[in-house]
Parts: sequence; C-alpha cells; structure tokens
Amino acid sequence: MNDKMIQPETDSFFDEIANNFTNVSNDYRTIKISIKSSDWVSTITKLKDEHGLIFFSWLSAVDWTNEVVTGEPPKDKVEECFEILCCLSDIEYGNLVIVSTKIDKKNPTIDSLVDVYVGANWHERESYEMFGIIFEGHPDLKKLYLPDHFEGFPLLKSYELLSREVKPWPGEVDVEAMPDDESENKEQRKEE
Amino acid sequence: MSFGLELLLKVGVVAAIAPAMALGLTILEIKGSAYMQRRPGPLHVGLRGFIFPIAEVLKFFQKEDIIPAQADRSVFKWAPAYIFVSVFGLFVIIPASPTLVVRDLELGVFYLLAISSLSTIGVLTAGWSSANKFSMIGGLRAAAQLIAYELPLILSVIGVVIQAETMSLVGIVEAQKEWGVPFVLAGQLIAFLVFMTAATAEMMRVPFDMPIGESELVSGFLTEYSGIRFLLFYISEYINLFVMCAIASTIFLGGYHIPFLPLDWVNFYGPLVLIGKTFFLGFILILIRWSFPRFREDQLQSIAWKILVPVSLANIFVTSIMKVVF
Amino acid sequence: MVTTIDPENRPFVSEASVSVEIETEGMTLNIGPQHPSTHGVLRLVAKVEGEQIFNVEPVLGYMHRGYEKLAEVRTYPQVTTLVNRIDWVSGFANEIPFMAATEELMEIEVPQRALYIRLILTEMARICSHFVFNGAYPLEIGALTPLFYAMEDRERVLDLIESVTGGRFHPNFNRIGGIKPAAGAGPTTKKDIQDLPIGFYKETQLAMEKILAAADKFEDLVGGNEVFRARTKGVGVLPYDIASSYGVSGPILRASGVKFDLRSTTDYLPYKDLDFEIPIGENGDCYDRWYVRLQEIRESAKLVLQAIDAIPTGPLQTKVPKVIKVPKGEAYVRAENPKGEMGYYVISEGGLGPYRLKIRTASFSNISVLPWILEGVLIPDLLAIMGSFDFVLGDVDR
Repeated sequence: MNDKMIQPETDSFFDEIANNFTNVSNDYRTIKISIKSSDWVSTITKLKDEHGLIFFSWLSAVDWTNEVVTGEPPKDKVEECFEILCCLSDIEYGNLVIVSTKIDKKNPTIDSLVDVYVGANWHERESYEMFGIIFEGHPDLKKLYLPDHFEGFPLLKSYELLSREVKPWPGEVDVEAMPDDESENKEQRKEE
Repeated sequence: MSFGLELLLKVGVVAAIAPAMALGLTILEIKGSAYMQRRPGPLHVGLRGFIFPIAEVLKFFQKEDIIPAQADRSVFKWAPAYIFVSVFGLFVIIPASPTLVVRDLELGVFYLLAISSLSTIGVLTAGWSSANKFSMIGGLRAAAQLIAYELPLILSVIGVVIQAETMSLVGIVEAQKEWGVPFVLAGQLIAFLVFMTAATAEMMRVPFDMPIGESELVSGFLTEYSGIRFLLFYISEYINLFVMCAIASTIFLGGYHIPFLPLDWVNFYGPLVLIGKTFFLGFILILIRWSFPRFREDQLQSIAWKILVPVSLANIFVTSIMKVVF
Repeated sequence: MVTTIDPENRPFVSEASVSVEIETEGMTLNIGPQHPSTHGVLRLVAKVEGEQIFNVEPVLGYMHRGYEKLAEVRTYPQVTTLVNRIDWVSGFANEIPFMAATEELMEIEVPQRALYIRLILTEMARICSHFVFNGAYPLEIGALTPLFYAMEDRERVLDLIESVTGGRFHPNFNRIGGIKPAAGAGPTTKKDIQDLPIGFYKETQLAMEKILAAADKFEDLVGGNEVFRARTKGVGVLPYDIASSYGVSGPILRASGVKFDLRSTTDYLPYKDLDFEIPIGENGDCYDRWYVRLQEIRESAKLVLQAIDAIPTGPLQTKVPKVIKVPKGEAYVRAENPKGEMGYYVISEGGLGPYRLKIRTASFSNISVLPWILEGVLIPDLLAIMGSFDFVLGDVDR
C-alpha cells in the first residue's frame, strides 16, 4: 500500500450531500442530485462554496423523447424534456457530483453558469449548438464546433445521421461466429 | 597579365569556388546533423548520399516560378540579389595565401563589415514584399536582429586590429606569423567568442534564427519564395557561413599559415589550410545549431545589447592598455 | 525698411507640437489550421500589435467527427473501436473509462489478470504519449534533435504494445468484461485462451530499463539546456484556482501544485496494490509542465516493472452473453488519460447501444484556458505555452 494514496471519502461525502439536498441518488457509484431548473445557479453555487467542489468537469444535455430517428427509443415511456447535467468535482479527494435538472422542450432556456465557473463557457456553447438550448446570461452564445451556416441541432434524437439514411439501423443482429477449427476453414476454402 | 584578363580570371575562380564551398558545407550539415540525430540522412541519391546537394540544386532549377498575386513584384524579385551580392562581395578580401587574394585592400576589415550589412536590406525587403503577415513579422525581426548584432561583430574585430596594427587581412595573418601564435591564443579569446556569437546571429542560424523561426513562421521572410529564388537564398546562406568562418579563421586562427611548413610552398598549402580551418569552425556551428533551441527575440536583443557590446568594449579597452604597456 | 512685429497682431503660428505617440493599428493574425506547431488543425485568431498579443480566440471544429452521435447508433462492443480514436496518441487509455462504465452498469467483475494487463497497457500508452510530448515540445521551441531520440525510445514501447495487442496506436483490445485473448503464441483459432506472448516479461523489463535511462538523458539534454530554461521558466504561469474553474486537469493541474491524480482516487484499475509517486510542480509555468511529464514517464516505467512481477493467473474475461444488452441505468466513470481527466457518462436504456454517451475529454477543457493565459504574451511564448499544454485535436473536437 502506498501511503501517499489518497483514500476517497465517498461514503461520508454521500452522507454530507444527502443531508443537504433532496433527490440524491447513488446508483452505480455516481452521486446524482436532481433539482428544479429555477434552483440551478443557486444549488451549484452552494456546492462550490460550501462543499469544496471547485473543479468544473463538464456540462451537457440529454434529449429524452419517445420517437427517435437514430438509435433505439427508451424502454419505458419517458416524459419529453431536455435534461441538463453538470458534473463537479473537488481536487483533493476525488468526490464527484452530477447535478441534473429538466427543462421544457418547447422553451429550452436556463440560466448560464459562467458567473460561477468560468469554464462553463465552452460547454454551454456546445450544448447550445447541439441541442438548441439557450443559456441566459452567457456572454457570447455562438457555435463552437459546427460551421457558421449549419442548420439544425445535431444531437437531437429527431436529427438523422446521413449514413443511416443510406443504410438503415440493422437492429438486433447475432454476432458472427469465430471459425471454430482450422479444418472447417480449409473445407470452406475448398468449396469456394 | 593585363588588368582585364586578371580580373576575369579572379572572378571566374571565385564564381567556381564559392558554390563548391557552399555545397561542401551543405554536405557537412546534412550528413553531420543526420548522424547526430541517429539517422543516416540521404542514402540513395549518390555515393551514399554525398551527391545529394547537387541533386537538390538541380531540383530547384526545374520548379515553377511563383510570385504571390499581391506581392510587390519588383521588390520581391530583387530581394535575393541584395543578399547574394553582399555575400559574394566578401570574397574579395579573403586571403588564401599572401598572393592568392582577389585584392588585398588596406581597409580590409572596414570593407568586410560594410559589405556584410547590405544583407539587412535584402531580408527586410523580402519579408515586406511577400504580402504575407508571417513573412512581415519575420522580416521585422530580422531587421532588428541584424542591426543589433553588427555592433559586437565590429567591436570584437577592433581588438585584433589594435593588436596587429593593420586593417588588411593579409597584414593580420602576417602579424600572427610574427607573433608565432594565432590571435585567439594571444589574448583575443573573448573577442573570438563574441565574434562567433555575433556571426551566428548575422547568419540567422539557430540559436538566433527567430526571423526564420521554422516552427512558428513556417519560414519567416522566406515563406513565399520557391524555385530558383529560394535557391539563391539557400546558397547565399551557406556561402555566408563559409565566408564568415573563413574570416574568423583568418583573423583569429591564423588563416593560411601553419608554423612548421616551409614558406616557399605557401601558394599550394595556403588554400588547403584555410579551407580546413573554415570547415572546422563550420562544423562547430553546425553542432551548435542542432543542439540548442532558439531564443525569443527580446532575449536575443538583450544578449546583444547588454552582454556582447559591453564585453567587446571591455576587450578593446584591455587590448589597447596591453598594447601601450608592452 | 525695418519691420517690427506688433505683439498684438502677430501672424498666426500654429501651436501644434509633434506628438510622440503614433497611432498604430493592431494586426489580426490567423495562426491558421495549417501550421507546423498547432498539434493538428487548431485555428487561433490572434489580435497582435507588433509581437504582443492582445486577444486570442480559438476556433474549433475542424476535426469534429460527431462521436457522441455516432455512439448512439453503435452497439457497445462497436463503441470501443470508435473510442480508441479520440486521443489518438495514447490509444489504449481511451477505452478504459468506457469499459469501466459499461461493466459498472452490467454489475460484472473483471478478473484480476485482465485488470493487471489493462494497467500495464495503460501505463505503456502513457509513456508513449509523454514521449511524443518530449519530442515535439523542444521542436516548437527550436531544438530539432530531441524529436528523433524521443521517437526512438517510443518505438520500443510501441513494439511491446504491438506484440500484445496486434496494433500500435489503436489496439481495440478491451472487451466488456475483460480483455481480448492476446496476440500470443499461436493462431487465434485454437480454443485455448491465448495469453501474453512468449518473452514478454523479459522484453518489457529491458525496455523499461532503457526508458528510465532515456528519461535521465532527456532531463540532461533538454532540461539542462540554458536556452530551453530561458524560454520556459516563468512563461505561462497558471494558478490552480483558475485552472480548476476552467476544468484543466492532468499534468497541467499537477504542475500548478495540486497533488491530485485519478489513479489514486479511483479503483477501476489495481493501482492500490502498486507503489508510485505523484509528481507535482511548484510554479505552474511551462518548465514545470514539462518536468511533471518527464517524471511521469519514470513513474509509469516503475509501475510497469512492478505490475509485470505481480500479474496473477486467471481467466482473461468474465462470461458475458454474446449479444450484450446493458440494463437500464446511468453511470459516470473517469480515468487518468495521459492528457488529463477523461470520463464517459453512459445512459443506457436497456438497448444494444447507449441511449446517450457523453464523452468528457481532457484537451477540450485544457484549451479553454488559452484565451485567459495568452493575453499579453509574445508570439514565441504563445507557441511555448500551447506546446506545454500538450493537447491533441481529436481530444478537443471529438
């Protein structure tokens, strides 16, 4: 054992978070807090100031719909919305928290986090161009990756992948079996 | 011989020797740097790659002559000529033996330093007329650098002039013959180091190659030049290297003179000795080029103004005191 | 005739004086997508005055391949192939967090032997990535020779990786539940599990000892060089609080003095059984970032030497069904990529492929600091700072 190893204090940290917030889950060792979109900035500011989570990891969104053009639809019926996720961490023990909120698809706006974490700037620009979510208070909300005249929001489930227009999604396929024996191979080759 | 015939002969000899020396130094650089970097370098072109520079020159001859659309055409075309002329002009005074010299001017050192500063115009106009922002940055850096490093170049030679009591290069070599030791050992070691540093900067080689700055400005002021125009820059860089090393070996290392050989045969062994010493200095500069990163230009300027100029002034001071006292 | 000048009716003399300040306009310099030093197709639009930079705006997206969208139409084993190519310099290390997330959701336990082999290959990928940095960073500063030495030492490690996995840069070696049977001794059509190749132990030992010697050589050759020190010491200082609010991670954060390494805070790979140190820097300048990465090469070589002594015997992969369907759930796993922190947030709805895969890459957050750190520096310093950040465009643009 290395005595320089930092022991992650996840159990006590989970208790700390669970005591201070509601709707906290710890499935698959990922602490997730679900909040209302009106509490977005205040909760995250509280996590930064009081619980020491000063490292801004990422911010992104999920498009929950029931009719999908790419990939597979969700197993059970879901309420159609955008779920915005923000991942924060600290730089001492490795504690990680994911904060999530749901916003309406027809009017996708939410407050910007740029005043709390400066690094949220580019992540919010990316979410804007991929999903169409407007971040109020962002200093310079414009496209990050895509060319200037690109139309549409690519990561929406209703946006079709060009390659899938050409060749549709194969669905459930059995994986190809490995050739079992060398002799079988030789027979196949003799047949050809 | 009549004056015209002699002139023609001398010009012909210089025109033949200069590119040959440049090619020799190119081979030294290409193969030397390759072995320093644990790779063989060009292998298949000629005899184990040693004919590579000739192949490269021929390659440049058959390239298209591209001039950028927005470039200033006449200035763009004339820029390499300035550098070429200034470098060839330096061959006039280099002595290969007491008699094998194009013209032994009495103002040898003065002429040397005057002609070598012509290349600044060439570099600056090349950078400016290319209609390319990166080239312009390279050209401006070059102008600042070349002007800054002329001073240490001049000042370091003055110490030798004081010691030899003459400005002509043949006279300096004869003075070293009388002294018995080359000037580098006779108290001008610091001047030698200053001269070599300033010469490296004048030739814009690493560690002073900010104007070319390969990884930043793609090629600096040379970016838009291709084909024969680039060949002119390339060849004049290596001729410049040869000439500067030749002058350094003449002024500091004793030129064509070696103490123990008979003086009657000096017309034969003089050139060989000079070429040997020049290539030795050239090899040291090549070693330095491939071992050091490059300086930032404010560090470059502070080295010139804050270190080299005071040191060479101190050298002049000490030399003149020693001259008077002894 | 004498003319006298009446002081009341003097002819008009302008009262203008020569103003010393000449108004100059800055220049907009496009350090464009094609440039010898931008590690790929990164475009920086820089407002420059003389040589000093006022404002830098990075323009991204030249390498955007749409990985998150592509992952939604792939099955889980197919996503591994995609994911290899995000940070193409350290191929193997990209797969680890995704595998760990999927295995977390499926609640399966990976056998110890597979974990140790994963650890060895990850550390080798880290050595490869840091050697590329060690060769390319002096090249941007102007030293042309260390590149060749670095590539030569890197070839040793790439040969080892190739002997195990069959691929140098994109091994695609992980399977859900363990690793693929290695490209060992014999044809892969036999039913016996193929394992590490014959002679792997001996060759790894030799190679790692040469790597340790090479790290010493680089410390002398590059770190002891006066010009290198003058170009990198004190240049581009990044304090740790700004770094963490931008999300900068990995060797850059450690060079700013923060002793934080994901290898010691997560347990998806058996780092707890091995002994290693976490190098940190003092000032957060370019020299520290270079030195931290050099130290990490040494630590990785020592880790590999310990790990090959400690590999347990056992199976290489747990039993998983042929068609892998991951149950419904969400998991986020992050790991220490050579460039920084790399994480995958997998949202699974019980299908063949992920419903949403969010890829958190290290270089994207590392570069977001550039506009802050590059204000007021000279152009050569811009290249020194950018080079010390060691980013890869595939990581930035996904």
